[in-house]
Amino acid sequence: MTVAESTFENLRLELRRGCLTLAVLAQLKQEHYGYTLRKELAERGLEIDESTLYPLLRRLETQGLLASQWREEDKRNKRFYRLSPEGEEILARLLDEWNAINTSVSRILDGPTSEAAPSAETK
Amino acid sequence: MELLDRYLQAVRKYLPLRRQDDIIAELRANMESQIEDLESELGRALTQGELDDFLRKMGHPMVVASRYQPQQYLIGPTMFPMYLYVLRLAMLWAFIVCMVVAAVVTPLTEGTGGAVVAALFRTPGILIQTAAWITLVFAAFEFARTRYPNICPQIEGLNKGWNPSTLPPIEKDSLRKGKPRSFAQAVAEIIFSVLFLGWVLLIPHYPFILLGPGVVFLKTSSYELAPVWWTFFGWIVALGIMQIVARCIDLARGTWERPSIIQHFAFKVVGLIPVLVLLAAPGHIYVSLKNSAADPAQLGKNLAEVNNAIHLGFSVVCAIVVLQLAFDIGKLVTEAYRKREVAS
Repeated sequence: MTVAESTFENLRLELRRGCLTLAVLAQLKQEHYGYTLRKELAERGLEIDESTLYPLLRRLETQGLLASQWREEDKRNKRFYRLSPEGEEILARLLDEWNAINTSVSRILDGPTSEAAPSAETK
Repeated sequence: MELLDRYLQAVRKYLPLRRQDDIIAELRANMESQIEDLESELGRALTQGELDDFLRKMGHPMVVASRYQPQQYLIGPTMFPMYLYVLRLAMLWAFIVCMVVAAVVTPLTEGTGGAVVAALFRTPGILIQTAAWITLVFAAFEFARTRYPNICPQIEGLNKGWNPSTLPPIEKDSLRKGKPRSFAQAVAEIIFSVLFLGWVLLIPHYPFILLGPGVVFLKTSSYELAPVWWTFFGWIVALGIMQIVARCIDLARGTWERPSIIQHFAFKVVGLIPVLVLLAAPGHIYVSLKNSAADPAQLGKNLAEVNNAIHLGFSVVCAIVVLQLAFDIGKLVTEAYRKREVAS
């Protein structure tokens, strides 16, 4: 891997990391267990490795954004996740942030403008 | 499915003890569902090779397990700038103390070249120990801070309480920047250097020009300067001549505006020679009795004390000059490194 490729890969992973969390939270408005969640995301064009998704679900649950329960389905015990009330609130705020960033980036890509416009605050 | 069991068993070994069963059960359910889906797509059971590929895609057991671990730092990003600052400061001071001990304290207390060399060789070990202790203290604080956030005070970071007006003034690079030397200034320096050299050369013939009325004491007292001062004098004269020659060369080549850095350091290094000559005086004798056989024993005792005091004084001067030189060289190397980094 060249230096440029390695730099791109690092930046891509950095960019994806936050987006994946947002996508997972959004998708878990409906209840899923790990594998079906992965399939749903893939069907919507967002491929995500098992080794990334499953620990992410645990982490989000530890942070109180997801609630989970073990339940039997198709003769197999599975852990189902869904968004917790706190997760719903955080998701709404994250989506606002996402939309603001998206709008700002689009505006930047469209070309320079002197008009003052609402912007995504960098923290 | 024996291979899947072996895989999960391997993952389990790297998981935190408390969560092993839970994580493995969930991982098994997800992986079995995925394998079932693959098998229903193919309409047959997976072959050994296909199962190998599936597990290889999942990743090495240690990597898979590591993703379930919380992110851990020996020293986290909040503490790291502070750690680096303290480490640099401590290393610098440890180095200075080591050099002072090697250059001043050891020669005075033990007085042998071997002891000085041994003191110098102890320096790397002391620096490593210093770094290790500082790292250990910061790592322990980081551990306590993350493990017991309610008990341990939280570091607000360097931004808290910071005031821009406390920033240091712009540093002057005395070696390269600043006002360039004018032609008149360069000529004046040569003239004054020649005058100074002439004054120095006259001192042995007319000590009055250095000592003033004190010259009477030289003539009437029972003491005289030791021969090492003649060697010292010779080096001072040689250095004076070297400086005049170098300045004349600068003038002839048209490079008088800014002194060459190499020349600057060469003079600093050569300037150490006269001090070293005095430090290496045989028996550390700088002042002796004019008539050692006839003068009373009391004078001899005072003489030893005076000679020791002079030697101590030169040792301190030498240590200061060496440290200053080391500091200047360090600054030069850092600046060169910074320039190279900027250029690349």
